[in-house]
Amino acid sequence: MYLTARNVTKKFGGFTALDNVSISIASGEFVCLLGPSGCGKTTLLRLIAGLAELDEGAIRLEEEDLSRTPARKRGFGIVFQSYSLFPNMTIAENIGYGLKIRNTPAADIAARVAELLELIKLPQAADKFPGQLSGGQQQRIALARAIAVEPRVLLLDEPLSALDAKVRGELRSEISHLQRQLGIPTLMVTHDQEEALALADKIICMNQGTVVQTGSPEDLYNRPATRFVADFIGTSNLIETARAREVQPDLLETRPEGADAAYVACIRPEHIILRPDTNGRATVRSVIFLGNMCRVEVDDPLGLLTVETHGGESYREGETVDLSIPREMCTWVADDVSEAAS
Amino acid sequence: MIARNAITARSGAARRLDGDRVLTWICVGLPTLGLILFFVYPMLIVFVKSITDLDGAYTLGNYSEVLNSAGFWRATRHSMVMGLSTTVISVALGFIIAHGLHRCSFRGKWLIRGAIVLPLLAPSLVQALGLIFLLGRNGLVNRFLGLELDIYGFWGLMIANTLYALPQAVMIIGASLVLLDARVYEAAEVTGATPLQQFRDLTLPASRFGVLNAAFVVFIITITDFGNAAVIGGDYSVLATEIYAQVIGQRNFNMGAVVGIMLLLPTVAAYYIERQAMKRQQSTKAGDTQPFVPSFRPLRDLPMAGLCFAVCTAIVAILGVVIFASFVHLWPYNYSLSLRHYDITLAGGYSSLWITIVISVMAATGGTLAVFLLGLGMRRIADRVAGPLQVLAAMPAAVPGMVLGLAYILTFNSTATPLYLLYGTAALIAIVNFYHYHTQAFLTTMTGFRQLPGAYEEAASSLGAGMGRIAINVIAPFIAPMLISVFFFIFMRSMVTLSAVVFLTTPQLNVAAVTIMRLDDAGLTSQAAAFSTCLMAVVMAALLGMKGILAYYRRRKPFDTAG
Repeated sequence: MYLTARNVTKKFGGFTALDNVSISIASGEFVCLLGPSGCGKTTLLRLIAGLAELDEGAIRLEEEDLSRTPARKRGFGIVFQSYSLFPNMTIAENIGYGLKIRNTPAADIAARVAELLELIKLPQAADKFPGQLSGGQQQRIALARAIAVEPRVLLLDEPLSALDAKVRGELRSEISHLQRQLGIPTLMVTHDQEEALALADKIICMNQGTVVQTGSPEDLYNRPATRFVADFIGTSNLIETARAREVQPDLLETRPEGADAAYVACIRPEHIILRPDTNGRATVRSVIFLGNMCRVEVDDPLGLLTVETHGGESYREGETVDLSIPREMCTWVADDVSEAAS
Repeated sequence: MIARNAITARSGAARRLDGDRVLTWICVGLPTLGLILFFVYPMLIVFVKSITDLDGAYTLGNYSEVLNSAGFWRATRHSMVMGLSTTVISVALGFIIAHGLHRCSFRGKWLIRGAIVLPLLAPSLVQALGLIFLLGRNGLVNRFLGLELDIYGFWGLMIANTLYALPQAVMIIGASLVLLDARVYEAAEVTGATPLQQFRDLTLPASRFGVLNAAFVVFIITITDFGNAAVIGGDYSVLATEIYAQVIGQRNFNMGAVVGIMLLLPTVAAYYIERQAMKRQQSTKAGDTQPFVPSFRPLRDLPMAGLCFAVCTAIVAILGVVIFASFVHLWPYNYSLSLRHYDITLAGGYSSLWITIVISVMAATGGTLAVFLLGLGMRRIADRVAGPLQVLAAMPAAVPGMVLGLAYILTFNSTATPLYLLYGTAALIAIVNFYHYHTQAFLTTMTGFRQLPGAYEEAASSLGAGMGRIAINVIAPFIAPMLISVFFFIFMRSMVTLSAVVFLTTPQLNVAAVTIMRLDDAGLTSQAAAFSTCLMAVVMAALLGMKGILAYYRRRKPFDTAG
């Protein structure tokens, strides 16, 4: 592994922000730290950047122990949610700042700045000041500033959260493109599951200061390990063990051993097959038309289920329908949410 | 039936629209009339008087007489030298303290924050009084160290002025440092910049406008201050004392007007440049801005803490010695404590203190109402009217208190207009105090209005509320903290100001700061100290009252102002 954080613990007063967390990034990999606000993901990023000191654990880059290295000697690049460009410097000066303090000759700086401005498609911006640019443009400059020094690791702290939807989408694909092109190992913090699914090679899903699940986007979506992950990433129908046993016992075939309360069944809305049937077991409660698909809520003996249908039949409220759930599409997930609540 | 109802409703709406328009014009009109009557008109009179000779003929003779007098040029030279040297030292100290407060890590910052505002709680001449008790001929230092320092003149005046202007310098420079948030420094840190490089490349450029702005403000405060110069200036005459000498000493109002106009020129120029500089100070902020929290670095923080505490000790010592001296039985011979100086022997006794409180409440109440109405009205009028009005409302800050006071006596002591009725009333002193500090009050209120989301008004309006109702139910509660600040700002300034009111007091109607000056003039220095102590206690109580009310408001959080 290229970068590792091992057994990291960080406390703020009596509050444990990170509890014995271990993560790793392979070289060239794009890793997302995903979780709700307050889960500790930003704290972990700041510890890796060197902007905060860890209480326990170690951070290593290949063989080098970085745990006590000051941020400015780690050779990383960082982009914040708030752009944080130097307001008194031009765009060119902002991008070239890291090279300047490394005593790079002025001509080389100018060449590198021009190259980067070309790369982020803002070649005209060199002599402007940050205040003259839009949010999306400023964030691209911040990205260029971070990669100008060819950082060993690129850290992105919610880089897209301050932007509006359209700009966010554009910049998202630009970040993805740049990262693959340059191959810089990247760690991005986000609370937006869609962003994480779209960008990451590997997602580290966090909750309450611990890592809940690590895996590829497909892994986390198709095989969530816990109720929290199933709920946080995508939409899920979560069914209690007792209810499933009563209504559709075949779902229990894939269920791991354990008390009834230990696991719940997770069924994604697109995996439920719906068909009109006046003798069916369920009733349509509401239909929301979303263009390429319909989201149908049905009252079923299993409970209130959300179903997504693509094309084909259209349904009306109050209509009686039948549905089937292929048992291989049912994932049993550990019920960490009720555990935490109890 | 239904149709008729609809028509009634529509005509009702039309009537209210007209009502709103009338209300808007009252809101804008009354404060504007006030500005014209009590600011523009007196300033015109001062100008006219400066080109009128004693027989009432128009002439430039006054100017040539002043420009040919050695005394005027000496006072001008002194004012400029004093202004520049005070500016350099005050801004340098202000930068150190602001940097210490915002960019260094040490304990006891609340002490520094507390000490630094003390000079604002007393008339400027109290600094001078304190310096005399400390360093004067009978001061503690000369007495106990057996020295013969002479504090009267340039050095004493410069120290007094420096400390008096310091709070403003610290606040302005501090505000410019706050604009750079923690993330910017962290970005530089991760990029590889050392602390020194961060200071050179981020902090210094960011505070450039703050420093420039502070320099102009300090310069204006210094050359327009009268109290310090009158008490500790000695033979070192400056323009402000020169005006006083012309008007009070020689009863030559027109010559006073000429010197006033001459003092106005550098202040207006400095003020204009300062406003232009302010416009360039811009910040771009996105979500997630974090205040900078410095970590402790002994090599930087210990010397900075030492400097900050040293300056604040000087401020506290100078004001503290005034309080101490007020209790000393017979300075400098018998240091046993007594209350005998609190028995003011000058005619009137404490009456001027009570009158000053009444005047200050009047100025604060009327003033807060006036700027609130103006701000309210200006949201609803066209930019081509609002623009010039804004310039007019921001103008009084460029006029030295001495000049405004002189303008008032020239205007209101003349029987030519019915305005004469105001002459010699407490109301006129309240008015001059308000217009003297109009700019700051107005700008603070406008800041409050700018934070008010337009959606609140639109929502209330679409629910059918008229302008008056919206103002009372929606706007006033929202900007209440700002209005409270404005009220106490005008109150506290009115309590301690001297320069604007010194010409307007009469033997029957005196204010606190003038009484202190008279006591000091009469050689009753210990009584002046006692009176100053009482005055500072009142202003301190007002300050604490304001902090308490604002803290109460913040705790209640009637509106979420985070957005």
